[in-house]
Amino acid sequence: MIYDLVLKIGHDYAGSVADARHVLRVRPRTEPGQRVVSSALAVAPEPDESFAEADFFGNPMDSATLYRPHSRLDLEMRARVEVSRRAVDLAATPPLGRLADAARLCRSGGPDAPMHFLGRSRRIALPDPVRTYAAECLDNEAGAGAAILSLAMRIKADFAYRPGATDVGTGAAAAFAERRGVCQDFAHVMIAGLRANGIPAGYVSGFLRTDPPPGQPRLEGADAMHAWVTAWLGPDCGWVGFDPTNGVLAGDGHIAVALGRDYDDVAPVAGVLVTAGPQRSYHAVDVVPHEDPSLPMRETSATSASEKPSSSKDRKISSTFSL
Amino acid sequence: MTSESTALPSYASLVGVGRDEMIAPGGGVRPHYAPLLNALSTMPRSEREARFSSARQYLSEAGVFHQVYGSGDAAEQTHEWPLAQPPLVLDPAEWATLSEGLVQRAEFLERVIADLYGERRLVRDGVIPGALVGQNPEFLRPLSQQGLSGAPLIRFIAIDLGRGPDGRWWVLGDRTQAPSGAGFALENRVATSKAFPDISREMNVERLAPFFMRFRDTLYDLAGPDVTRIGLLTPGPHNETYYEHAYLARYLGLLLLEGGDLVVHHDRAEVRTVDGFRPIRVLWRRLDADFCDPLELFGGSRIGTPGFLRAVRSGALVTVNALGSGLLETAGLLAFQPALARATIGTELMLPTIATWWCGQEAARAYVTAHRERLQLAPAFPPAADAAAGLPAAEEITRLSARGFDELMRREGTAIVAQEVAALSTAPVFVAGRLEPRPVTLRVFLARDRDGWHVMPGGFARISDSRDARVVSLQRGGGSTDVWIPSDNPPRPVTLIGTGGTRFARRLPGAVPARAADNLYWLGRYAERCEVATRLLRLYGARTGEGWKAGELEMRIGGLLAELGVTVPPGDPVRGLLALARQAADTASRIRDRFSPDGWRTLREIVRLIVEAQDDDGTELVGLTSAILTHLSGFAGLVQENMYQFLGWRFMQSGRSLERAQMSARIAASLLSGEPPEGALEALLGFSDSSVTYRRRYFVDLSRETVVDLTVLDPLNPRSVAFQANALFEAVSALPGMDAGETPDMLFRRLARLRVRLQTAEAQEVAPAFLTRIGGDLADISDLFTRRYLLSSPRRGPGHEESE
Repeated sequence: MIYDLVLKIGHDYAGSVADARHVLRVRPRTEPGQRVVSSALAVAPEPDESFAEADFFGNPMDSATLYRPHSRLDLEMRARVEVSRRAVDLAATPPLGRLADAARLCRSGGPDAPMHFLGRSRRIALPDPVRTYAAECLDNEAGAGAAILSLAMRIKADFAYRPGATDVGTGAAAAFAERRGVCQDFAHVMIAGLRANGIPAGYVSGFLRTDPPPGQPRLEGADAMHAWVTAWLGPDCGWVGFDPTNGVLAGDGHIAVALGRDYDDVAPVAGVLVTAGPQRSYHAVDVVPHEDPSLPMRETSATSASEKPSSSKDRKISSTFSL
Repeated sequence: MTSESTALPSYASLVGVGRDEMIAPGGGVRPHYAPLLNALSTMPRSEREARFSSARQYLSEAGVFHQVYGSGDAAEQTHEWPLAQPPLVLDPAEWATLSEGLVQRAEFLERVIADLYGERRLVRDGVIPGALVGQNPEFLRPLSQQGLSGAPLIRFIAIDLGRGPDGRWWVLGDRTQAPSGAGFALENRVATSKAFPDISREMNVERLAPFFMRFRDTLYDLAGPDVTRIGLLTPGPHNETYYEHAYLARYLGLLLLEGGDLVVHHDRAEVRTVDGFRPIRVLWRRLDADFCDPLELFGGSRIGTPGFLRAVRSGALVTVNALGSGLLETAGLLAFQPALARATIGTELMLPTIATWWCGQEAARAYVTAHRERLQLAPAFPPAADAAAGLPAAEEITRLSARGFDELMRREGTAIVAQEVAALSTAPVFVAGRLEPRPVTLRVFLARDRDGWHVMPGGFARISDSRDARVVSLQRGGGSTDVWIPSDNPPRPVTLIGTGGTRFARRLPGAVPARAADNLYWLGRYAERCEVATRLLRLYGARTGEGWKAGELEMRIGGLLAELGVTVPPGDPVRGLLALARQAADTASRIRDRFSPDGWRTLREIVRLIVEAQDDDGTELVGLTSAILTHLSGFAGLVQENMYQFLGWRFMQSGRSLERAQMSARIAASLLSGEPPEGALEALLGFSDSSVTYRRRYFVDLSRETVVDLTVLDPLNPRSVAFQANALFEAVSALPGMDAGETPDMLFRRLARLRVRLQTAEAQEVAPAFLTRIGGDLADISDLFTRRYLLSSPRRGPGHEESE
């Protein structure tokens, strides 16, 4: 499937921003089963400095620095991506019980090595309740794929999808205690549950196909950037995506932007800026599927997206100056 | 005369079965200790005490202290530096052998880190488990390739050692991120030399200065030929070793920088100075890596520089040590030493490491569980900036049932090591006047230059508080001593202070970082504000003390004091005064690298005076305020006479002049407003210390005009508003960007106008409205000044609204 993607993120600052530096992870990544045909990023006002590089995990990373005072910032990312993931034969995955040992003994040191996706990371503590919760449906005798999918389904069943119930800073433990949240929280809970049981798991940010194929239900999380989990199923099967928000395997409708150990590695917009007062944000996504690679990309999108609080981790430093 | 030789048998009897640094197993004194012990034995106790006290006095005068973190909300406290005597003396032949082992270890560590930030063969070949890298908070992924270039990632490290019963030195741990203690070792040396100048000469104790000089040259070599300044990056004044950072910066001539002083433009790091941005290429880093860049590393860091990693990756900024070198501090790596050594340097390590088991492996866990009584658990990884969960406390672990321990091992084993409890050697230190053997550990320092690694001939010895402490740490009490390596040859006299190669010749201090200038400016203002309040309070105390009933004049003075946060009786004026004095002393302690220890000590002394007065019920205001004023004039004298009168001094002077002019105008306006009360004119003269001058200059009785003339308009009276406006103008005119011939800056124009206003005013027109207007002008000038020179960086720290 080919997708034309449009992502728009904007910030309206109450006061003027003097100086800002951002790191953006908004362009789709290239990975097995996903090919980026083209991508373009526009930032307004035009940054005084900008660079594009790839981070450790191979995610495209753009830096944008503005020195001139500005009171709003808009980003627009457009991309065409071809997604054709191999079908996962859940029956062919190794027994879950063997996975933890295989992961521990794996000697790969590359960016996709299991060693990076075990244990704690900034957003992932390994609280006992989450460990136990996950262990309850991780049957060591079952095939790893089926067992992990059952965890994703359990999270979907047990947790309420409630935008606004949590914020971008919520950790896995808090979301778990509340049993509600958004895709980011579900992904963190699932990652913590898997890692606490020795299974390598990572965080994927990305897009979800907006309009479901005929006869299928519309998935949650399609009107904004989405998040899901990637789990390691052994040296032969490699990494497979699981979407705990929807209780499904990540398929051709999941378009990956960035992969990391948790949200902190993939935050779409990270910034340090100096301003006073609050800011308003918008965040809109449009994902248009088609089968024809020769189709020109649309110039403007009639976006169907709604507004939602942005999930940027911008940090503001007010420049109040006192005695 | 008490002789130590009679005390020696008692020392020998205190030495346990373990190894003692001074006493050989047979009870005899080891030869390398003999000269020191002989000297100590033959000197009278009074002389010994006098020598120790001169060392202590040096430390206290230099303001050497360290901070101990309070628990919870309690603020950190500063403590006197716990220097113990006598120094630890090491046998030169043994030291030479030890040094070889240390250099080998440094080379080994260098290879390990290069691989882990490069090809990671050590993981691929199974030499170490991937978990030690993959789950390590010090493995910085944004720099995962930095070892490939071949440039060394570590250049200044410390290694902690303890000596076992067999006389061998054992490695207890590696300090490769930003090791502390080298500056304290230097201070210990200077202080100890004050106590034993003759003995250290006689023993030809190896000097430390050449080691530091070579390291400084290394830093300049790294920066390239045209670089004038190297920075020392500090977490700031709240860090426990900030004193050391300031000391080393002063000693090596480095620019003491905080993350907020730096900005990254394109690929380059620059320093925000009062004269614009100045490039910086090399930083000696004392800030933990994860805090360096809130954009790509720990996002919660408030003390970093956004874009820092970008400058590092481009190669334009070099840090010593490289960010991420803390990876080598991973205790888990100690469990794999022989294999790591074979894989990297192809040979055995000369220095053994403390026996360590990494509990991430089944076999190790079984061993540790079986021997838990004689092992100590510790974190396998270096601490994370945002550590979510730590190990249970040691006493909790001790109480764990067999099942509970098993469970802990299984769940958290990856994050735990078990180590043998080191049996440390003992060294002699004086405790309550007599020598006692105390367990000792040794921190040694190594620096790398183009020729390879060099060991600092000496180090930092930590002495335990109790005879059988398992862990020797300053944070938990205990002391430290100097470390002497005697030699057969007299050392060449060399010191960093005052040498200065051609590189330093005729170079003005140059651009002051905006933050330092800001602190200097406010130090000037706060010191002056403290003086104004003290003068007002003295005036108030003198009048009420003489039995006057508080009348209109006293009420006005009380109102002025209240504006400064000082409440007159029945309130507690001492409390307000203390707050003002602390403000000045705290500001001074933030710029200790640019400020004489004497000036800083004077301000601390004022704080101490007031604190004592507070504890004392019968404080008499006049006495206290006079004592404070004496100290403040001492401070002013030091600033005037001893401070290098360049940029930094001008900022301080500007703050002082501005504050004094503003306060003088405010006080005159208040005392002269409406119908001036009885005694207002005398009070104004008294406040500005101008009574004597007045009698000399005007042969008339007090009149409003003449008093105003002297205290506001007279350009020769240093207490007048006009004098201070002129002084401010002079100081500002000499600041960068105020060059004659250029379009005058707004700040310059406002100042010039103010001067003219004061120069041309008639005494009759100096009414409260005029004075209030002058005060307003000065407030505007302060704002312009701040915007022009000090506000190039956002003020961080308290007083900031922050939101996510």
